[in-house]
Amino acid sequence: MKTEPFVINIGPQHPSTHGVFRLRLTLDGERIVDAEMVMGYLHRSMEKLAEERSYTQNIPFTDRTDYVAAMTGNLAYVLAVEKLCAIEAPERAQWLRVIMSELQRFASHSMAIGVFANDCGAWQTPVMHMFREREKILDLFEMACGARLTTNYMRIGGVSRDVPPEFMPALKKLIAELPKRMPEYEALLTENEIIVARSRGIGVLTPGAAMAASVSGPMLRASGVAWDIRKADPYAVYPKVEFDIAVGTNGDVYDRFLVRVAEMWQSIRILEQAVDMMPAGPIHAQIPAATVQPTMGGPSGPLAFRPPAGEAYGRIESPRGELGFYIISDGGPTPFRFHIRSPSFINLTPLRDLSIGMTVADAVVILGSVDIVVGEVDR
Amino acid sequence: MRLLAEWYDFRDLGNTIGALLDRIRDWGAPDWVPYVASGVIGAVAILLWTVLSVLAFIWIERRVVALMQNRIGPNRVGPNGLLQPVADALKLLLKEAITTRDADRILFWAAPVLIFIPTMVIFAVIPFGRGMVLADLNVGVLFLIAIGSTNTLAVFLAGWSSNNKYALLGAMRTVAMLISYEIIQVLALLGVVLFAGSMRLGDIVDWQRDMDVWLLFIQPLALLAYIISGAVEINRSPMDISEAESEIVAGYHTEYGGIKFGFFYQAEYLAGFGIAAIITSLYLGGWTAWGLEEWVPGWLIFLGKLYLVFFLYIWSRGTLPRLRIDQLMAFAWKYLLPLSLLNVVVAGGEVLVWREADVPSEVALPVIGAINAVLAVALVVGWASTLGHLRRERRPARAILTQEVGAILYEKAAPGPLRRGSGQA
Amino acid sequence: MEDAGSIAAFWVLAVITVGSALMVAAARNLIHAVVALIVSFLGVAGLYVTLSADFLAVTQVLIYAGAVSVLILFAIVLTPTAARDNADSFLRLPALLLAVVVAFTIGLAALETDWRIADRGGFEETASAIGEALLDKYVLPFEIASVLLLAAMIGAIVLVRPESASVEE
Repeated sequence: MKTEPFVINIGPQHPSTHGVFRLRLTLDGERIVDAEMVMGYLHRSMEKLAEERSYTQNIPFTDRTDYVAAMTGNLAYVLAVEKLCAIEAPERAQWLRVIMSELQRFASHSMAIGVFANDCGAWQTPVMHMFREREKILDLFEMACGARLTTNYMRIGGVSRDVPPEFMPALKKLIAELPKRMPEYEALLTENEIIVARSRGIGVLTPGAAMAASVSGPMLRASGVAWDIRKADPYAVYPKVEFDIAVGTNGDVYDRFLVRVAEMWQSIRILEQAVDMMPAGPIHAQIPAATVQPTMGGPSGPLAFRPPAGEAYGRIESPRGELGFYIISDGGPTPFRFHIRSPSFINLTPLRDLSIGMTVADAVVILGSVDIVVGEVDR
Repeated sequence: MRLLAEWYDFRDLGNTIGALLDRIRDWGAPDWVPYVASGVIGAVAILLWTVLSVLAFIWIERRVVALMQNRIGPNRVGPNGLLQPVADALKLLLKEAITTRDADRILFWAAPVLIFIPTMVIFAVIPFGRGMVLADLNVGVLFLIAIGSTNTLAVFLAGWSSNNKYALLGAMRTVAMLISYEIIQVLALLGVVLFAGSMRLGDIVDWQRDMDVWLLFIQPLALLAYIISGAVEINRSPMDISEAESEIVAGYHTEYGGIKFGFFYQAEYLAGFGIAAIITSLYLGGWTAWGLEEWVPGWLIFLGKLYLVFFLYIWSRGTLPRLRIDQLMAFAWKYLLPLSLLNVVVAGGEVLVWREADVPSEVALPVIGAINAVLAVALVVGWASTLGHLRRERRPARAILTQEVGAILYEKAAPGPLRRGSGQA
Repeated sequence: MEDAGSIAAFWVLAVITVGSALMVAAARNLIHAVVALIVSFLGVAGLYVTLSADFLAVTQVLIYAGAVSVLILFAIVLTPTAARDNADSFLRLPALLLAVVVAFTIGLAALETDWRIADRGGFEETASAIGEALLDKYVLPFEIASVLLLAAMIGAIVLVRPESASVEE
């Protein structure tokens, strides 16, 4: 029987492409023969715009690249600039950064898992349940910095403001509650036979292929490679807290899901330690005088932050993978080059090879397991 | 208070209608007038009831699913959101009726109608109460299956006439699914017919009343198979592949908008009620409830059971994710079909032994019930493990926790077993 | 079949059946032809009902309108689009002549035969009678039909089996 392949588009307007992302699939019956990714629908030319703005003005941009995990985006950028100027944030600021990052990781994974189950077809129920905890975390963010989603909390040399007195009791209350909720989610999702059937053996990524494609984050760890920037290239106070790296063994979609669940447990563990170990103290470092120069109007004009000429690459473990900022400074008040190494964009690279041979339903599930944020993919 | 057989006891509507028809006959009208009158009254009553039920359940389902999802659901339109179905219906009626340019106009228009008719016609043979059947067919059960099979046609025509790749893909998937599960439906219903000895639905309900037992206890495996295949026939989660929102947008009714989509929407609910009505009559005793029907009208009991069964479908929609089409088909052909066949063979054997040995029913039925229950559990678990569903790789697991950076544990270590509530120990 | 209801029913059903059968031959679009065929099947089922063959009527709907028509539809969908319009065929005139000859022959045979009008008794349930006949007098044709269907199913599976030996779940 002669058949001929036909092309369908998933997206850019689609209920489950996690944003405006287009996937052109060439199908032979139900099997995918070729998959072409078309990106750029959300390109906002952030990298170019950042070259016109000062270093502190660029921090809100980093909220909006990965809009699901704003805190980690802020942190990666300020780490890069701090490397450039050799500034060290004080102890309390580092602990606050770790607390916010881990809270953000939990919130982002909540959404990733909920939306993944949604792709598998559970009509929004897991999303609603996971968002219950995410809402509480966003309330904490609002308490700390005034915004839920676009937090703009980190500053070059520390954090923008100290947490109000009601923050720590609320955080302790949340940490006590989360370990009771997690078994509920595990019962609903991890043990759900349909989710296992839909995701086992789908989209297997071998460690060799993952490393060749520079995949990072839960996708890499699910393939069996125990690589976590928090342990491999530690930043902030991560060397002082105890936690494990969650690794999968099969490299399939189910393992990515399991790794994210395990990371949520580890985040709770880190938060419990951080709450006890955080000292009091200043929250912002003293910026060296050499970097702050008057920029116009002569020696008594307004001051601008001018890092020394050079380049720096600062990276962190964001919930999606290795988020890195490569900053080149020419000594002026605005960066010469502001490049975002976004994990979602790099993690999408093997998507074509993962999808070939799968069915359309599987392609959607695999895309959900990569956990992309299109703001990061397109910048 | 017990039900009286008088016309003024409105709790049992059959009396009222019967008295009305007698009155018409007394006026000397020709023979066909009461016949036609009862047909018209019955049809109008069923129409009214189905439409009202659909309207009510639009609200009920959204509220119940919302409760399961830890949110509130529609509560803006009217007090507590009770006018939401009216708002939905008005919205669908007032929308622009777009027909795509290259669509097949006649079939595009006809498909919603064609999908709506079978779902309504099912209710003609269902016994709502004592003597409350619109068309008491001798081959009632077979009629139900035949009507279900015309559903496939309408779905296919809807998908094809839209001139849309997504719709055609969805229609093909749906037709394959429906055809596979029809066979299982037939076999499940066959078990019931074997025991009751008749295909007339009223007879089956009467058998359950006379034997004082519900066929659910005698044929548990058949009920399970029928619930699953019923869910497939009405395209409900976990088998709503044909309208898999996250994959192919809306399947075979992607191109339909306005009241044409309203027909599809209504037909889904009506089909759900139809399947629930069939399950209630055939497996759950219909309008009888071990003597309760002397006090409460039979149709109330029937409706109560019907809504409970439909709630089961709403529950599974709110909870379970969706299966893939090939997994669903494999499940039908490799798992449910052998089980249903075995069930029919065993049921036939039991009925044969019962009739030939002339065992009294008080002895035979508990024994048969016990045998079938044990067999059901053994078959379900045993066949699943034979097919490999209970193998290690299919079971839920945990990620491995490690401290060594840079280690590669791909396929070297087995995933940890899941112990619920133990945290990440 | 004397009263007004039966006569009206017969004529309505006959018009539906024959009319849609004519539409099958006359429709340009092949899918419309199949839909007309389905209507004709349903008309035949109605005629069975007027003859008190309840089981046969329902089985007609189940098998013809439910299964056979879906089969035909699938077969049409999988053929190339060029065969969709069956209007311009060079065989039109010979086909018309042949159809007229066949219709004339059948009509002549129907009118010339001496039909014995059977005496209709009461309505008996046909389902049990058919069931008993199939397992009693006609069990051999029944079993042969089952074997034939089994062979068809196995043939279908063999035809669509993928080249590789592995069968996916």
